[in-house]
Amino acid sequence: MTYALWPEYSVVIGVFVTMIAVMVFNRRSIQAYWVGLATIVVSGIITIADWSSKSLPVALYGHAVTVDAFSLVVNGLVLVAAAGALMIGWNDKRYGPDFPVLVLLALLGMMVLGLANNFVVLFIGIELLSLPLYILAASRGTGESGEAGLKYLLLGAFSSGILLFGLALLYGASGTLVFTHLDPAHMILPLAGAGLALTVVGLVFKLGIVPFHMWIPDVYEGSPLPVTTYMAFGTKVGAAAILMRFLFFGFSLDAGWWGPALGYLAVLTMVVGNLLALAQKDLKRLLAYSGIANAGYLLVGISAHNMFGARALLFYLLPYGLAVLAAFAVIQFVAGERDSLSLDDLTGLAYRSPWLAAFLTVAMLSLAGIPLTGGFVGKFYLIQAALFANQPGLAIGLVVGAMVGLAAYVRPLQRAFSKAAGESSEPIRWPVAGSIVLVVAVVATIGLGVYPAPVVHIVNHSAAFYWLH
Amino acid sequence: MIPLNWIVGLGAALFAIGAVGVMVRKNPLIMFMAAEMMWNAAALVFVAYARSFHAMSGQVMAFIIIGTAAAEVGIGLAIIVSVYHHRHRLDIDEVSQLKG
Repeated sequence: MTYALWPEYSVVIGVFVTMIAVMVFNRRSIQAYWVGLATIVVSGIITIADWSSKSLPVALYGHAVTVDAFSLVVNGLVLVAAAGALMIGWNDKRYGPDFPVLVLLALLGMMVLGLANNFVVLFIGIELLSLPLYILAASRGTGESGEAGLKYLLLGAFSSGILLFGLALLYGASGTLVFTHLDPAHMILPLAGAGLALTVVGLVFKLGIVPFHMWIPDVYEGSPLPVTTYMAFGTKVGAAAILMRFLFFGFSLDAGWWGPALGYLAVLTMVVGNLLALAQKDLKRLLAYSGIANAGYLLVGISAHNMFGARALLFYLLPYGLAVLAAFAVIQFVAGERDSLSLDDLTGLAYRSPWLAAFLTVAMLSLAGIPLTGGFVGKFYLIQAALFANQPGLAIGLVVGAMVGLAAYVRPLQRAFSKAAGESSEPIRWPVAGSIVLVVAVVATIGLGVYPAPVVHIVNHSAAFYWLH
Repeated sequence: MIPLNWIVGLGAALFAIGAVGVMVRKNPLIMFMAAEMMWNAAALVFVAYARSFHAMSGQVMAFIIIGTAAAEVGIGLAIIVSVYHHRHRLDIDEVSQLKG
């Protein structure tokens, strides 16, 4: 009897209980949120228990899923994302009664992506992640929210179609559905090449890499704020995890097929994403472009294709996600009843609420990669990985991207610390659940920057794919 | 017996028609239908290869694609209808409050 899959099973049970709670307690129920949070906590505890168990790594269901240290780290990251999103939107009347149920369902999809070792599981994970997010994006019921949901749906279905056709061609070239049984050396070449290209394009679409990024800003801007937070953190973790897993398990010996292409895309994404972030007036759009640029940083870790790249990618996901949680929590507090926040609305924030301005500063500096924040350590490891892989171009691209990004992230801070035009505004409310997320995220961001050793240790252990060296 | 390459060719043609349809058409319903066509092209190719390999795995994948497509259609039509209720017209160029 193995307990390897119990983090996922507990989320499945949690989904059902949450659904029942929504039905029993009269639509708008605080109980559903509590059940959802309890599910996340239980799943997290089981993940930690699995981490120290002797039976891992283990392959189940004819190598369809592999539970190893990598999948457990992905579990941990997406659990943090789900908890953050749930608490930022805690019992908010705007988001409909099904909010906790859908958050848990998408969480399940992200966890499945972490352990996939099979085309079927990959596809189910991607769809289980996407379908609840389509509903969540449109759940606000306003014109903008509906538009975000519609765009996400159409481009999501389109990219899933590309991904599926790529998988079908790979199946035809190799005759197997299992990543680790793919044998690129004995594949029919044009078929395998086309299949790999289409599959990677489909996955990169989900991650938001530059030629395929156009849906991200619109969807992020129109979606309700906690949902945007969830997409910016959780979806990126899931997509990066499955891309790495697929390429490192299936095509690790043929890095020449995909490494250079992903490297060029990474540089393009880092530079273009940060440049476009410079021009934004809406804070959610700015963070959307920042998310695109950060997807480029993540791609550096994959295209470096060595142990350091895998470690750096896994490490970078955490400070990026924490900074996103903190920044969106601040936006949620300042925006109050509104859905979005322009840069002008930030004017004088430092005088209205010094603490919020300070927290926003930490989040922005971490995204920009200033020392003593987690973002700096993450970028440091990524550059190190690129240099160890003998790809100085990647490192240069990362530094240039980060420099441009710094200018983009300083603009909201400059507004926040300038004097307001004089009109007195009402004080900012601090919802309890959101405050917990904000404080924890900020403290953890600084903690990662000052003392990253424990996380580095975990990440080093989990990225130990034995064929990389 | 139809040769394998013809079926895969048909799948590729359906996929290309679907992809062009998503990019060219303006009506969200038609775009959505075209995207579903890409999915079904992939399912067809999976079944064709599964038959030539005498293996079940590809057919399992095809069934899962069909089931997921049904779920996606349910959600997709709901979203499209709710957008239609807001505007009473369906044209993707007019759904552009969010400038990208």
